Amino acid sequence: MSGHSNWPEWIYVAVVIALMAWVGAEAWEAERLVEHVPADAKTIIVTGQQWFWTFEHEDGTKEIGELHVEVGKAYKFEIVSTDVNHSFNIHDYVVLIDAIPGRVNTVWFAPDKVGEHDIQCREYCGLIHYNMRGTLYVTEPLS
Amino acid sequence: MKFIFGFLLIIGVLVIVPAVDFAFAAGDEPGKYLDRRAVIWNLFYKMMTVAFTVGSVVSGTIIWQVWRFRESHPKAKPTSYEGTDW
Repeated sequence: MSGHSNWPEWIYVAVVIALMAWVGAEAWEAERLVEHVPADAKTIIVTGQQWFWTFEHEDGTKEIGELHVEVGKAYKFEIVSTDVNHSFNIHDYVVLIDAIPGRVNTVWFAPDKVGEHDIQCREYCGLIHYNMRGTLYVTEPLS
Repeated sequence: MKFIFGFLLIIGVLVIVPAVDFAFAAGDEPGKYLDRRAVIWNLFYKMMTVAFTVGSVVSGTIIWQVWRFRESHPKAKPTSYEGTDW
C-alpha cells in the first residue's frame, strides 16, 4: 500500500467513537435524571387490568378511570398488572411504562400546571384496548 | 501507528472520559424536581441533530465517491486489470 495514507479513516473512526460516547452519555444522563425519584414524592399504585386503570393513593383511597393529583407535587407511580401486559401512558407528561404481571415498574412525574390530561394504555391488551382510557386531573393544592 | 494511537488517546481524554464522568457525576442521591418533558425532548432533539449530521456526512461521502470515481470522470485512472486502452 505504498503511497497510500489511511489517516482520514482513523479520524473517521475516532469521530464515530467520540460521537457514540457523547450520545450514550447524554442518554444515560437523561435517563438518570428522569429515574431519580424526589425524596418527598407520594406513591400511587397503578393497577392495569382488562380494560381499566385503578389508582390507589398513599392514604388508601382508590380511584377508577380517573386520577386526581395536586400541581407542584411529585408522584411516584408503582405500576402493576393483574392479567396481561399493559402500558401506562400520560402522553402530555411523557409518562410511559409497561404494566407487567408479577412485576412492579416505577415512574415519577411532577405536574406543573392545573388541567386535565388523557391517560391511556399503549400496549395492545385485548378487544377493548382502544377504550382503556382514563383522565388525569391536576388540581390546585388542597392544603 | 504511533500517531494514530496518540490521536485516539487525545480524543479519548478530550471527549470520552469527560462524557462518562458527566454521566456518573451525580451519584445516587434522591432526584430533584424537573420537567421530564424538557429532559426527554431535549435528548430527542440532540439525538436527531447527531443523526442528521452523521447521515448527511455519510451520504455526502458516498455521493462524492460515486461521482469522483466514475469511469467517465476526467481524472479517472484505470486499474491494471482494466487495461490502459481507453
